[in-house]
Amino acid sequence: MKQIMTICKFTFLDGLRKKAFIITTAVMLILVVGFCGVTALIGSGSGSDETAQEDTASQPSASEYSSKCYFADDTGKFADSTAALQSAFPTTEFIAATAQEADGYKESVANDGNISIIHIIEQDGKPFIQIITKDFMSGISTSDAADVLTKSYVSDILSDAGMDAATIGLIQEELPYSVETMGDMNLSGFAIGVLLTMLIFFAVYYYGYGVAMSIATEKTSRVMETLIVSAKPSSILIGKCLGMGLLGLLQFGGLIAVSAVSYITLVPGDFTIMGMPLSFSAFTPATAVLILLYFILGYILYAVMNSVCGATVSKIEDINSAMMPVVLISLASFYLGYMTSITASGSSSMLQKLAIYLPFSSPFAVPFKLLNGDIPASDLAISIGLMIVFIIVITAVSIRIYSASVLHYGKKLKLKDAYNSKI
Amino acid sequence: MSLRVEHIVKTFGTKTAVNDLSFAMDEPGIFGLIGTNGAGKTTTIRCILGIMTPDSGTASWNGSRITRDSLSFGYMPEERGIYMKTKVLEQLIYFGMLRGMSKHSAKQNALKYLEKLQILEYKDSPAEKLSKGNQQKVQLISTLIHEPDLIFLDEPFSGLDPLNAEVLRDLLVELKNLGKYIVMSSHQMAVVEEYCKDLIILTRGKTVLSGNLSRIKAGYGHTNLVVGCPQDISQIAARHDLKLHEQRANETEYKITGDEMANGFLKDLLDSGIYPVKFEIKEPSLQEIFIEKVGAEQ
Repeated sequence: MKQIMTICKFTFLDGLRKKAFIITTAVMLILVVGFCGVTALIGSGSGSDETAQEDTASQPSASEYSSKCYFADDTGKFADSTAALQSAFPTTEFIAATAQEADGYKESVANDGNISIIHIIEQDGKPFIQIITKDFMSGISTSDAADVLTKSYVSDILSDAGMDAATIGLIQEELPYSVETMGDMNLSGFAIGVLLTMLIFFAVYYYGYGVAMSIATEKTSRVMETLIVSAKPSSILIGKCLGMGLLGLLQFGGLIAVSAVSYITLVPGDFTIMGMPLSFSAFTPATAVLILLYFILGYILYAVMNSVCGATVSKIEDINSAMMPVVLISLASFYLGYMTSITASGSSSMLQKLAIYLPFSSPFAVPFKLLNGDIPASDLAISIGLMIVFIIVITAVSIRIYSASVLHYGKKLKLKDAYNSKI
Repeated sequence: MSLRVEHIVKTFGTKTAVNDLSFAMDEPGIFGLIGTNGAGKTTTIRCILGIMTPDSGTASWNGSRITRDSLSFGYMPEERGIYMKTKVLEQLIYFGMLRGMSKHSAKQNALKYLEKLQILEYKDSPAEKLSKGNQQKVQLISTLIHEPDLIFLDEPFSGLDPLNAEVLRDLLVELKNLGKYIVMSSHQMAVVEEYCKDLIILTRGKTVLSGNLSRIKAGYGHTNLVVGCPQDISQIAARHDLKLHEQRANETEYKITGDEMANGFLKDLLDSGIYPVKFEIKEPSLQEIFIEKVGAEQ
């Protein structure tokens, strides 16, 4: 145990001083703080937009228009539509133009995202609306403009047919509606769940890779020759995994702590995602502990397998190909967990159970379900139990393969031969 | 205390790396483990230390089987390996603690050996900043830091310049005088000849010669004659059927069949008015014995 702790401490401190760790941590923290800062800026920016919209009850003067739109009507059926367009797009100046003039302005549109052209032509006996903008991101909103013009056209036809203005107004009015979901899932739980699943996958992969690299470096630099006479292979493997795991927890914990502080201090209280306020009510202490447990178990499982990958290579450049089987398992498991989480209603219950029970995928499937409250306690108990048993088995197998591989150089040792070899 | 290695056999697939190897060390000193590349020296050491399990045979220290936990041994592998990015003192403390030392005593011993091997100034430098020879000294300290009774040194002199080799020689003598049991593998026959009382010669896993070096050499008798002489003595040597063994800058070594042959040659030299500055009748060198034994096997 003392040896394990010595190796763990050395691995932890060695990793902590590495430039890669320091830079990765700094970049991640800057990104988190930056993201929260941008959210705060957008929040304050949208507030001023609302004020601007409230203030535009009166028509802006020519100097206040932020964009312009040339309006050419070959059909003569949209003479009154300019006012409707102006009302719908108060910051855009609509300028009447002929078809020839409209064609002439196309070059200006190509160079300036604030200029648009609406050209209505006759096609098959009906008006056809051509809207020309620089690209789909700039200029006038095409769908809104087409909607305004269509309503104006229909309104004129109905008016010509003798229908009174009040009835026409009623026909064209859109009925109000609301959407209400009756399930437990809410957008906050969903968004945070997806983010957490990705974070766990990233952490499990990244720190597992760290374990493999650390062991491969010790082997290829021949430090292992010295190490192996001082400590048992099992102590080295477990100590390494623990050290890297602690490093991961430190980075992961730091990331979450900085995220929480940034969220509290920077993100506006009324911040919403798709109109819904962000809520952390799903993060109960029990949920947080279980998520942490799944992160730790998931990390241990993949780290132990990665340590075997690190022990099998003789050259450091072979590490990626050696890790490929574990990477493929982790990717497939991540997608199984992720897809059965985000498409809960669409995926079969059997696939759901598989994702929860399978030790490879449960670290990626269960945290999402914990946050969205749709996992029975019995499933949770089976999942954790299976995971622990599987980790014990895979660790025992890995130690055996590791012991045989770690001093083997040259031609790659087959896993079966490594397992069966007398060491 | 005694080290006993009995009938060790280790195979890898169809290849026998160590074939029925036995030897014993009943008193402190330096034991030579000699062999060509791939002779099975490293596998032998790994089997003795319990890093590898032999197919058969045993290695015991004071009658008990050797394992990582049962004995305080030190092993300096042939392939040097230290943490290049880590500071020298820090990694020595780490290796010491892995061998069960407290941090304090590991540090004390590390500093003691750093000073003894004249690299104390590098204690706070990353190992990558040190020369190859000094890195090797760090490796040696990591082997000795926990004051083991049994020490295995695999090619300890390779890569050392003459000054550093001298420092290591002094340390070996000191360890020997402290009553340590040292098993040394080396290709440098002169070094083995100088320090090892007993030895074993391996080739392709097989023992071709083992025992006390003095007795082995005595068994060959006086077979070599070294003559240091400024004059040309080749014609006189030819008259006595002396076979040239090696021509060096200031001396010549001949093969002889016995003392009488050498004495007759000396008499002729003196009668010719040639007075050699060196005239040494001796047993064959370990190098010759090695080449003869290993060559015959191959």
